[in-house]
Amino acid sequence: MPKSGERATLAKPAPNVLKLPYRFDILLKYVSKFELKMGTNFVIYLALGALLCLSKVQAEIVNLNVERSLDLTSQLVRATTKISTEDTAGKPISEYVFFVDEPSLAYISVKDNADKNVQIRKNELAKGEESYTLTFPKAAAKQTFVVETVSSKNILPHPLEIRQNDKQFVKYIGHLHFYSKYKTNSQKTSAKLSSSNILSHTQVKPFSVASTKITFGPYENVEAFSLEPLVIHYENSSPFVTVNSLERTLEISHWGNIAVKESIQMTHTGAKLKGSFSRYDFQKEARSGQSALKSYKTYLPASASGVYYRDTNGNISTSNMNSGRDFIELELRPRFPLFGGWKTQYTLGYNVPSYEYMFSDGNKYQLKMHLIDHIYDNMAIDEATIKIILPEGSSDIKLSTPYTISRLPNELVHTYLDTTGRPVISFSKSNLVESHISDFTLYYSFSKISLLQEPLLVSGFIYIIFVFTIVFLRLDFSITSHSHKE
Amino acid sequence: MNKTPKMLNSKVAGYSSLITFAILLIAWLAGFSSRLFAVIRFESIIHEFDPWFNYRATAYMVQHGWYKFLNWFDERAWYPLGRIVGGTVYPGLMITSGGIHWLLNILNIPVHIRDICVFLAPVFSGLTSISTYLLTKELWSSGAGLFAASFIAIVPGYISRSVAGSYDNEGIAIFALQFTYFLWVRSVKTGSVFWSAGAALSYFYMVSAWGGYVFIINLIPLHVFVLLIMGRYSPRLLTSYSTFYILGLLFSMQIPFVGFQPIRTSEHMAALGVFVLLMAVATLRHLQSVLSRNEFRKLFIVGGLLVGVGVFVAVVVLTMLGVVAPWSGRFYSLWDTGYAKIHIPIIASVSEHQPTTWFSFFFDLHILVCAFPVGVWYCIKQINDERVFVVLYAISAVYFAGVMVRLMLTLTPVVCMLAGVAFSGLLDVFLQEDSSKRMGSAIHAAAEVDEAEDSIEKKTLYDKAGKLKHRTKHDAQQDTGISSNLKSIVILAVLMLLMMFAVHCTWVTSNAYSSPSIVLAFHNSQDGSRNILDDFREAYYWLSQNTADDARVMSWWDYGYQIAGMANRTTLVDNNTWNNSHIALVGKAMSSTEEKSYEIMTSLDVDYVLVIFGGVIGYSGDDINKFLWMVRIAEGEHPKDIKESDYFTDRGEFRVDAEGAPALLNCLMYKLSYYRFGELKLDYRGPSGYDRTRNAVIGNKDFDLTYLEEAYTTEHWLVRIYRVKKPHEFNRPALKAKERTIPPGNSISRKNAKRRKGYIRNRPVVIKGKRTLK
Repeated sequence: MPKSGERATLAKPAPNVLKLPYRFDILLKYVSKFELKMGTNFVIYLALGALLCLSKVQAEIVNLNVERSLDLTSQLVRATTKISTEDTAGKPISEYVFFVDEPSLAYISVKDNADKNVQIRKNELAKGEESYTLTFPKAAAKQTFVVETVSSKNILPHPLEIRQNDKQFVKYIGHLHFYSKYKTNSQKTSAKLSSSNILSHTQVKPFSVASTKITFGPYENVEAFSLEPLVIHYENSSPFVTVNSLERTLEISHWGNIAVKESIQMTHTGAKLKGSFSRYDFQKEARSGQSALKSYKTYLPASASGVYYRDTNGNISTSNMNSGRDFIELELRPRFPLFGGWKTQYTLGYNVPSYEYMFSDGNKYQLKMHLIDHIYDNMAIDEATIKIILPEGSSDIKLSTPYTISRLPNELVHTYLDTTGRPVISFSKSNLVESHISDFTLYYSFSKISLLQEPLLVSGFIYIIFVFTIVFLRLDFSITSHSHKE
Repeated sequence: MNKTPKMLNSKVAGYSSLITFAILLIAWLAGFSSRLFAVIRFESIIHEFDPWFNYRATAYMVQHGWYKFLNWFDERAWYPLGRIVGGTVYPGLMITSGGIHWLLNILNIPVHIRDICVFLAPVFSGLTSISTYLLTKELWSSGAGLFAASFIAIVPGYISRSVAGSYDNEGIAIFALQFTYFLWVRSVKTGSVFWSAGAALSYFYMVSAWGGYVFIINLIPLHVFVLLIMGRYSPRLLTSYSTFYILGLLFSMQIPFVGFQPIRTSEHMAALGVFVLLMAVATLRHLQSVLSRNEFRKLFIVGGLLVGVGVFVAVVVLTMLGVVAPWSGRFYSLWDTGYAKIHIPIIASVSEHQPTTWFSFFFDLHILVCAFPVGVWYCIKQINDERVFVVLYAISAVYFAGVMVRLMLTLTPVVCMLAGVAFSGLLDVFLQEDSSKRMGSAIHAAAEVDEAEDSIEKKTLYDKAGKLKHRTKHDAQQDTGISSNLKSIVILAVLMLLMMFAVHCTWVTSNAYSSPSIVLAFHNSQDGSRNILDDFREAYYWLSQNTADDARVMSWWDYGYQIAGMANRTTLVDNNTWNNSHIALVGKAMSSTEEKSYEIMTSLDVDYVLVIFGGVIGYSGDDINKFLWMVRIAEGEHPKDIKESDYFTDRGEFRVDAEGAPALLNCLMYKLSYYRFGELKLDYRGPSGYDRTRNAVIGNKDFDLTYLEEAYTTEHWLVRIYRVKKPHEFNRPALKAKERTIPPGNSISRKNAKRRKGYIRNRPVVIKGKRTLK
């Protein structure tokens, strides 16, 4: 049952992976030609700088030591890169250009020695390469900082289709050397894998393998923009599940409640199931369907109440809820185990009291809530749309988010007892991971008196009905003049 | 002197209307809440099979609008034939809930259409009890009406069809039925055009809602006919019936599904005949007043003969010409209970078309079934125009309920009404006299006391038994004909009966009629926890998410509506069993061997096959237990290929174990149900492949599927879905050497004279790299 939609989502990352090294190769050849002719780094970087349309090129910067650790245990690639850099000319370094070597980067954060956040500015895409300019809080001749990146869809199942009882093998394709526009003196890469079952990996000495960990390097004096491929083919039985679309709706009521509703569509993007599904094997054999998603945990805020978990066919009766002190752990089981290529959809909703998230100063209100929330560990979300429904009559709405989002046009929605409609703030963001769980802040003003509008509406309506009944019963509408029988 | 009783009367009237209002409100609430067992135990969900289609159609109408709905051609049903939905449904149900949804949406109340569908029947049960009250009030007294309203609110015979989630035509049709009868009785009583036009409008609603409208259009003419025979002709009757018949006829023809049936089919001819007869009687009456006796007698004999012969010839000719259609099969089975079993197995295979057992009369009606003949007797004893009606209603409904379990539903309202009359009459005797001393008018008092008694009876349901004692004591103080002790004993006994009735109703509702049947629940005997089997929705949701949007699913027709409603996939046959031969084809595919059914399945473009298998959990309503009906229906259309006797053992038993008939052990249904089941051990001591439903170890354990593969099986194996392989996907089974036939013709025709058979053997001169000489 291969479906065109699934194939499309799976096939998409593949060309990206192939495309990039290929283009780098050409670039590299081009660069090395120059090197042969001129023999000076300076000229090369000037030429390259012009080529990449980058304005600030500081050729003096050298990476003294780079330590990369790749976490490949799940479907996400979490890279932590510790970089010590130095300006050979002794000038203080205030900016550093960091190149991203993986496509579909989801999240990046940079911290300096003192564990303080370093400002990041995204540069314009030059030839499909993503780069960021880091601005250090204090310019110094030597800088040491840690870059953390999370990217999805860089670990791909290989083979693409497996049988129910087979193990899932995946391939990670990356770069052996730290991809940088600066020369690197010494570097080391370690990859943490999900199992010790490694089929193959790139063999550039020195390297060492210790059960679930492979260490590459140290490699000395690597030129800038060096492109050595790194391929690791290993067993990874964790389910590769991607949320294709998340629609999160927050409905704010000034009567003290915030209703949260998340509509989620997810696909198992790991190796597709080949052949038939056998319930007998699935129940009897432990090795059957290891990479299938049987259940997962979702964490909700501790104050959540009235939780529901349903789809278009009604309540999904297979879920458990455990309340913890700081959060509620919800163990969700899809209606059926998700095998490779299978999809499911559901809606999860709950209520939280508004006093935990809403702050007010007179008529000014401030709403502080998670932009997205936890769905499952190591989650990857392709596209998220967030809608915030404010009470009727809110005005002066201002939104601030922890990262850039794309705003969608405001709407109006009419629900219970509405007359003019409630304003809806909506925005979307693609390629999200767990690190994106952080608060947005929404400022708006709302007059407290308009809170009374709805009760007055109801009581007025009932009052009119009573008055009408009283009047109607006391009037005689009959055409004939004879008196009533009873 | 004159003023005091009047004032007293108006005061009593005020109280009695308050009490009436309160009782009707309580009856509505009680009826509504006792139908919510399923919602509270499970969730707000559509039940069973037919409601899923109604829900799907309603959702389609809400989404696409009324005209699109009328023109809806559903290509997801009856593949490859499709179904014209707009012309083959009674749209009243969809219009009702769609209208409510539209109204609420205009008021900015965003209720999901599913919730409206789920709660429609409980809400309408309140309307039913009000219209029952009105009807009974017309027939007897308002006290009896309140009894009847309270009875019908909670009686299991009606609840069985109107619990929350049971979104079916009957839910609103019983209201329409009762309301039409009320308006009809009113119009017969008053002879007013207003009421009979109202009856016609209500009849229109009934026609749009349920096929049972035929009951009305035969019962009302019957009433008129009997009144004529009894010599109770009156101009009122003429006005009301002619207005009702003409308007009702025109209205009913507006429903696309009914169309021209009211003037063409035999079911509707009685109404026409009575109309003609009534006209004739009216004409004769008129002539009688104009002509002399002698002239009139001549005219009567000649004219009567001519008209009689003319009508008879016309009916015969029209039937022979095919203008008037003969009776439909389902209708025949109403008269001859054995008819369906012989001629139409598909009707007989439905459990609700079986004859009713005595047990189920008591189960569904409890004490009412005993009180009901008393009510009939009361009505016959004090007969008048409208009581003739209720007696006829009772007699015909009893007959039909005896024929089909399903028609228990039409019996229930009349039983409630007449039981109300009976209880009211009983309490009249035991409570009337002492009250009459206090009150001015005896009738008023009786009504009032009835109401009071009824309210006490209602209160016993709401644990306010304290007042009851006080009341009886108070009555007992009066010293009249019947001794006070006897009175209080009788009243207490009646109250006990009514209380037991309420308890029984609640028990039956909660245990028998409140299961959604798509979600099964069972109690774990070990730790007392409640487990839920959600296999149906698991499978349907799997289909909806993980198969191609245009995938065609073959299953037995019972599951057609659910697949369409929950999985949104194309089905071959469904619960609208209009095409017997198509169903027979599916039955044939299920009962043939894998190889033969593969041919049928490829010719029908089947992608998936869905079977229900209860052997793991002991679910008795599965496909193997229904299998004989598949065989029978298939045999009806394909008697050469399928024979029912092949599926029985020599001793005439239907068994799935090793002694079972070979045709059964190798048919598709058997293989799909038991695929890999032979390996499964349900407990450590027992043998593998033990079927819990049929309590047997299966006979054919070790087999493989060639043309199909398991696509999905639910957690408890209840639903098994198989994918039909495409021709290139399987290895065709090897043929034995003697069975092989070399296709003649084609290979020879391509050979020319030089390349005849044997030519190559004589010329083995083939040089590598060079062309062979020709």
